[in-house]
Amino acid sequence: MTLSSDIISTVEFNQTGELLATGDKGGRVVIFQREPESKNEPYCQGEYNVYSTFQSHEPEFDYLKSLEIEEKINKIRWLPQQNAAHFLLSTNDKTIKLWKVSERDKRPEGYNLKDEEGRMKDLSTVTSLQVPVLKPMDLMVEVSARRIFANGHTYHVNSISVNSDCETYMSADDLRINLWHLGITDRSFNIVDIKPANMEELTEVITAAEFHPHHCNLFVYSSSKGSLRLCDMRASALCDKHAKLFEEPEDPNNRSFFSEIISSISDVKFSHSGRYLLTRDYLTTKVWDLNMENKPIETYQVHDYLRSKLCSLYENDCIFDKFECAWNGSDSVIMTGAYNNFFRMFDRNTKRDVTLEASRESSKPRAVLKPRRVCAGGKRRKDDISVDSLDFTKKILHTAWHPAENIIAIAATNNLYIFQDKVNSEMH
Amino acid sequence: MEYKVEAHRIMSISLGKIYNSRVQRGGIKLHKNLLVSLVLRSARQVYLSDYYGGACLGSQRAEAGEWAEGETMESLEGRSSPGAAGADSCESETESRETLRAPETNAQASVEVAAERNAEEPASSSDYNWPQGGETDEERAPGQAEDSTQVPSCPVPESRFECGAANADEGPQSPAAAAPCCTRKRSAGKSPYAGSPVKRPRPGSVPPANTEGGDASEDMDTGNVSSLITIFGSSFSGLLSKDGAQAEPGAADGDSGSGTICCEQMLPNLSPWSTAIVAF
Repeated sequence: MTLSSDIISTVEFNQTGELLATGDKGGRVVIFQREPESKNEPYCQGEYNVYSTFQSHEPEFDYLKSLEIEEKINKIRWLPQQNAAHFLLSTNDKTIKLWKVSERDKRPEGYNLKDEEGRMKDLSTVTSLQVPVLKPMDLMVEVSARRIFANGHTYHVNSISVNSDCETYMSADDLRINLWHLGITDRSFNIVDIKPANMEELTEVITAAEFHPHHCNLFVYSSSKGSLRLCDMRASALCDKHAKLFEEPEDPNNRSFFSEIISSISDVKFSHSGRYLLTRDYLTTKVWDLNMENKPIETYQVHDYLRSKLCSLYENDCIFDKFECAWNGSDSVIMTGAYNNFFRMFDRNTKRDVTLEASRESSKPRAVLKPRRVCAGGKRRKDDISVDSLDFTKKILHTAWHPAENIIAIAATNNLYIFQDKVNSEMH
Repeated sequence: MEYKVEAHRIMSISLGKIYNSRVQRGGIKLHKNLLVSLVLRSARQVYLSDYYGGACLGSQRAEAGEWAEGETMESLEGRSSPGAAGADSCESETESRETLRAPETNAQASVEVAAERNAEEPASSSDYNWPQGGETDEERAPGQAEDSTQVPSCPVPESRFECGAANADEGPQSPAAAAPCCTRKRSAGKSPYAGSPVKRPRPGSVPPANTEGGDASEDMDTGNVSSLITIFGSSFSGLLSKDGAQAEPGAADGDSGSGTICCEQMLPNLSPWSTAIVAF
């Protein structure tokens, strides 16, 4: 039985790939750490084991608006590591929190006034002074909330992104984007506001936002209309005017009742190089070149066989699913999830793509993932899955790719799958 | 005609989603509801695209000046609606229209109110375009129901779907029509909404359609909408037959979606749904 509170809602590697954080609908964060390579098997990369678990957000109630605030973790972002501790930002619909994750593997022993259990010593027994010394102890991971950035958003927060300056970060909700300083919780700067004066004129909302990986003044945000806006914070305090607008004209042949829904961008990611943007809408994933605004340079069909089923998917709400997308470390392969616990990878160079499944059967240790195929009619091969037998309750919305190696983390409802590609890890 | 059925179905589903979004945990999701409202609008446009083409045989245009196509057609529809209502088709249809109008207004209003409530600062009533369903009711004496020529002076915001809905029976509110009153009902001085931004809907109360009057805000509650859905779940003819009982807001016609007749009556008068929905 799957508890809805266990459903994983976000997955994120840190900058080195040593740590992997997941957030779930119940407001919990689980951090996995990669074990160091074993000396016995030098070519066997380490596995990920649970490092720490903590409750990040709790359900809240806004009494003024009679509104319940879900504790579901929408996004986690790691800060670049600057000392021994690790820091991450986690957010629910309204509040962003900065968490410090630190290790304690030593403790002082030999206090003069306290005994080992912490009780005060009888002073008459103290005859000499000693200097406490640090002794090793079992590793303990401590997590503490260092900052709570509250009351910055009226609408639901969908994205957070840490700036390359490592001092600021932004948070985006449906209509506004705020810039925060990591050390200041009582104020933020509003840098994008698309709320119309008359809400009845609302036509689009912000769906995702991200800072450029290298240029601390640039960020991009996507909209429900399928457009991307690149903004330069140097231009003005309020970045309502975009520096660049990336938009592809709609194909009139594909017009349907649901054209607007399926063109809504659910995720946007800068490439590691900072040169490209990766976007995901309901049926496709696209690569955009920052230097070309009128159309993407690559479009990949994730599950075009669903195009004829949009009405059913609208009825069962699947059409509103927000799939994420990911780059591999070298920006040569992109990955995104689909239904039936399938996820897809597209090699931008060879133009080959593969469909894989995250399931218990395919996840036995050392098992090789077998490519899957969805048959949309026509000749059906053995092991093909027909479109009608796809399980739409098994959706892979959240995926992450290790920043350097071919290790991927796939969230399938309440299960986390971590796949490593040992054979090709040297090739990329 | 299949596309009309399909469009109708999609509209019903959409309204159902909007209604359900009010009770979802975490508050109303602006993005999803915006998308749903866009679908609703598309479906409506498709549904109506052939409507005027075929239905404007307009033999019964009353006062051309004040009557929009929608109204005329609507009158036609009303009269031609299967006499489920019984003998007094005129009266019953009128009543049902009134009923439909107000409840629909209420439904819309409740959606918007809830949304707005959940959205940020309480919006001033000027953010709403509440067709005061009750107002128009009041404007018309019951006996005048059949007099389709009676058009409230400035009853309904032209481009607001609620208004369209609200004035299903009386207002010249075809969406395409250049209805004289393109300002909000409020501007007619009847808006009860002034200063009453976000009232929590009272569940369960189903105010009689005809008396909704100015206090629409108080009556925008889920009780109305759920009643709507219930009524339409059975069938539109059920609504027609219930003469006085149409307080059952069959409204938001689309809500439960049964009853082509209802839709045909209501839809021509619906202004862009999306504009109403987005009052979050």
